[in-house]
Amino acid sequence: MFKNEEMEINLGPQHPSTHGVLRVKLRLDGETVKHCYPVIGYLHRGVEKICEDKTFFQGQVWTDRMDYVAAVSNNLGWAEAVEKLLGISVPRRAKYVRTLLTELNRISSHLLWLGTHAMDIGAMTVFLYAFREREEILDIFEAFCGARLTTTAFRIGGLRDDIPPGFEAKVRAFLDRFLPCIDEYEELLTENRIWKKRTIGVAPISAEDCIAMGVTGPVLRAAGVPYDIRKAAPYAAYDEMQFDIPTRMEADTFARYQVRLEEMKQSHRIAVQCMDGLPEGTVMAKLPKILKSEVNEVYHAIEAPKGELGYYLVGEKGGVNPYRFHVRGPSFVNLQALPMMTEGKLLADVIAAIGTLDVVLGEVDR
Amino acid sequence: MMTLTQTIVMALIQIIAILAFIFMLVPMLTFAERKVIGYVQVRLGATRIAGGRTGLTGAVNKFMWWMGHFPVISFFRGLPTFMADGIKLVTKEDIMPAKADKFVFWLAPIICMVPAFAVFAAVAFYPGVLGTLPAWVPIVGGLPVNGFMTDINVGLLYILGLASVGVYGIVLGAWASNSKYPLLGGLRSAAQVVSYEVPLTLSLLAPVILTGSLNFRQMSVDLATKMPPLAILPLFIGFFAYITCGFAETNRVPFDLAEAESELVSGFHTEYTGMKFGWFFLSEYTNMIVVSALATAFFLGGHYLLPFGLQSFVPASWGWIAQPHLIFFIGKIGFLLFVFLWVRATLPRYRYDQLMSVGWKYFIPLTLVNLFIAGAVRFMA
Repeated sequence: MFKNEEMEINLGPQHPSTHGVLRVKLRLDGETVKHCYPVIGYLHRGVEKICEDKTFFQGQVWTDRMDYVAAVSNNLGWAEAVEKLLGISVPRRAKYVRTLLTELNRISSHLLWLGTHAMDIGAMTVFLYAFREREEILDIFEAFCGARLTTTAFRIGGLRDDIPPGFEAKVRAFLDRFLPCIDEYEELLTENRIWKKRTIGVAPISAEDCIAMGVTGPVLRAAGVPYDIRKAAPYAAYDEMQFDIPTRMEADTFARYQVRLEEMKQSHRIAVQCMDGLPEGTVMAKLPKILKSEVNEVYHAIEAPKGELGYYLVGEKGGVNPYRFHVRGPSFVNLQALPMMTEGKLLADVIAAIGTLDVVLGEVDR
Repeated sequence: MMTLTQTIVMALIQIIAILAFIFMLVPMLTFAERKVIGYVQVRLGATRIAGGRTGLTGAVNKFMWWMGHFPVISFFRGLPTFMADGIKLVTKEDIMPAKADKFVFWLAPIICMVPAFAVFAAVAFYPGVLGTLPAWVPIVGGLPVNGFMTDINVGLLYILGLASVGVYGIVLGAWASNSKYPLLGGLRSAAQVVSYEVPLTLSLLAPVILTGSLNFRQMSVDLATKMPPLAILPLFIGFFAYITCGFAETNRVPFDLAEAESELVSGFHTEYTGMKFGWFFLSEYTNMIVVSALATAFFLGGHYLLPFGLQSFVPASWGWIAQPHLIFFIGKIGFLLFVFLWVRATLPRYRYDQLMSVGWKYFIPLTLVNLFIAGAVRFMA
């Protein structure tokens, strides 16, 4: 007598909480998700093709705009990939400053994640508290390279300039102030009954499924697999740093929340070590004026805040541009796990799942 | 004994007074929401109107910038936004979706708004005579003005009945929009409101048992002044149960999934613009005021100073503190409204199924137990 109809609904591309222009086609039976199909490409700008026409020096600018939240990480990956391709080694001081800035960027990316994820679930205030700290980090970036968001912070072979005067004081002031702020966020969320109900058991994905889909980053670590490229294949100055890899076993949204908070504390630890142990020396290697590549291909992966960020570069004989440039974007791969995490769950969980995967559409679409 | 014309004119005066009160309080509440939530979130909230520095609005903006030099009154920078919001709502373009059901689309905000206003007919702002009109007033000069509009013996029943009518506005508005997101929001909201009506009514039954009447004025006076000592327990539990169900009834955080901004864009009123949206918006705030007024009158001691029946132990010899005052009532309503805003800034929101299970599996048993406790207290006293 009553027909049970499934409703096909579109979540976005314009939506307050799909972080960017993500479109998710959902088939709902009441509130339950029967089928979830992410549609991407709304932010595709052809970055990989464009970089085939740009020199190795110019290509870095486009990497800022991929994962625009964690631009410094992207810059680090590009610089190191090109240095690997061309066989350039970087002075130690430059490695330390690069590590410092990348860890600060990890903190700022996780702060943005925390703010937007909490706001999607309804706790509006955490967003502003997290951005208060993020503003300080963005001021630090601005002091170093002149830009807050699209930083282009590094150069092939090191850094453009040494750290400016007053930079160390700024960084130390932030690092001294930061750990109690994490406690403030935890006070608002971790023991909050409603937060726990919205995140424990929500959007789970097992470790086997993670590895099968290629999901990396905090999602994988919250499923129990202690895989972090900073430890597995160290780059920059990470082999000289002491830090832990936070893991959890529950593999749900609450576990990822805890893992990312813990990662912020570990990043803080690394940043303090960088500041304390900053070696003397130059910040730029001796390079020819025009960088030419050989017939060579390289894949260099770094641990971006969102997961394994891989750069695949192919050089040609005497070429000033890369022959082919491909990015293994962690958000792109992680997003493929979204149907697995949400089918059979409720609509509100889809929002939580998109938030907990920490997707940035610039990286998904490039 | 008043003649018919005198009764009608006196009623009109009271209606105008209540409407003036609401139409003053609701925009101030929207302004307060923006400022209070802003200050909780380490920012200033609304501090200027229209943005320019030229002309009349420019002069206002420059004055408000100057106000920022002073500690406490700087909070009120941006006060004209309450007028600006009202003007904005009235002057915006009125859009109706093409395939929407025209009559129902127009009717839904009215169904939401009218019960919210009509409830105030039974609310007693002051349990007695507020004053007398001066003799020079034309028809009703010299007559006493009551602090309440009506003194019906089933006041509480009237209020609860009207509050339940409001859900029709939500459901009809959602359906008439002919769009999927409002439909989802409206269905969620209807189920939520209907579910939380039960513990709401049960929590209000405890004061009814304690006083033995449904007359609003009499209940608010008795619940403050004639309570036995043990009545603190059912009143305390009842207060928290009532306020939480009040959050659910008015679709406020943490129960605001009907208008969950991050999930459904705007829930059941997504397709509404202009003053139609304005009526939904204002009815939500008016409902907040109604819930606060009931909570104050029944649980927080109403027109007297002390809450939860503690006023019964204040002897009349203490003079001013032992008397009812309008300012206590309004002040407590204000405090409860602040709690509404405070909670909105702080808590995340419940998922739909969790909200339903909290209502049915937690609050209904709690309010039933509270009912037994109230019965036991009344029996023993």
